[in-house]
Amino acid sequence: MTMSNAMNDAMNEEPPPTGIKLTEEQERARRARSIAIAVSLGALVLLFYIVTLVRGPGVFHN
Amino acid sequence: MSLTVARVEPSLAGVGDYIELMKPRVMSLVVFTALVGLVVAPGHVHPVIGLTALICIAVGAGAAGALNMWYDADIDARMARTAARPIPAGRLAPGEALAFGLTLASFSVVVLGLLVNVFAAALLALTIAFYVVVYTMWLKRTTPQNIVIGGAAGALPPLIGWTAVTGSFAVEPILLFLIIFFWTPPHFWALSLYRADDYARAGVPMLPVVAGVRETRRQILLYTLILAPLGIAPWLLGYAGAVYGVAAAVAGALMIALAFRVRAEQDANTASKQMFAFSILYLFLLFAMLLVDRMSAGFAGLLFGHFAV
Repeated sequence: MTMSNAMNDAMNEEPPPTGIKLTEEQERARRARSIAIAVSLGALVLLFYIVTLVRGPGVFHN
Repeated sequence: MSLTVARVEPSLAGVGDYIELMKPRVMSLVVFTALVGLVVAPGHVHPVIGLTALICIAVGAGAAGALNMWYDADIDARMARTAARPIPAGRLAPGEALAFGLTLASFSVVVLGLLVNVFAAALLALTIAFYVVVYTMWLKRTTPQNIVIGGAAGALPPLIGWTAVTGSFAVEPILLFLIIFFWTPPHFWALSLYRADDYARAGVPMLPVVAGVRETRRQILLYTLILAPLGIAPWLLGYAGAVYGVAAAVAGALMIALAFRVRAEQDANTASKQMFAFSILYLFLLFAMLLVDRMSAGFAGLLFGHFAV
């Protein structure tokens, strides 16, 4: 093996994984939480939209 | 100098754990009493605005519950009744509960202020702060009067419902506040009578732990004797019809009879369990009758108004 080949192999090698590796159960729980947050935010947007339709331009004039 | 960084395990908490953190059963009673405050208030509120107010009140109550569970995790772990809650059971980290509670509290107050009215939002903020800071952080661990004073937080939702419609106070919602305020001590002391060991183990100075079972039974009776006439007061003051008055009188008489039984019986466990269970039904019945009374009055008004035309 030449010197340049060895350097190329070293540069192309995948770095070892760092950080936290989630278990399947943790990934499932995170996905469920993410969906719940998305649904809640969607509901909030929908609520503002409907109240704006009901109240008209003065929606924030309480 | 060395720096230690705590490694935090990724959360396993599911959506159900977060829902449990919001104390859904308490939340349902809060929403129901707020709904009654909203319906009995004079004037008109668009159903969408009314629903928005109820959602905000529900989320605010959930936030208060989450912050309570965050702060009380050490106590909860020592009590059989609460040991399976998400934090002491290890399913949810305290920091997650704190962040969740603060986020919900902020959103509920801001959205109520933006979409309904600022007065109701200020009252919701006061309710959450009172429950978390005054009751949970201060009174609960220091005085047997914890649930008496802290009960004010649980009594505020009908007032929030009322102010969501009117933007002001009146005697009627204050009466509803007083009913829940005087209902809270007999309700919780009945529970604490048969859970006294639990509270003692956790170091919570509930009345039976500090003043004894005999004094607790006496206080339950005293508060029930104040509560029963207060329950009839909406009818006596002309805010509700005779059907409500009769229902409140009968239910109040049953509450007093149960309070006497709790006081009289040697082994008060059975009687106090019955009192605890019936007290929930009592409050539900009173507010449900108010709701029925106001809705039937509105329906009759519509009907006769229609025929008059």
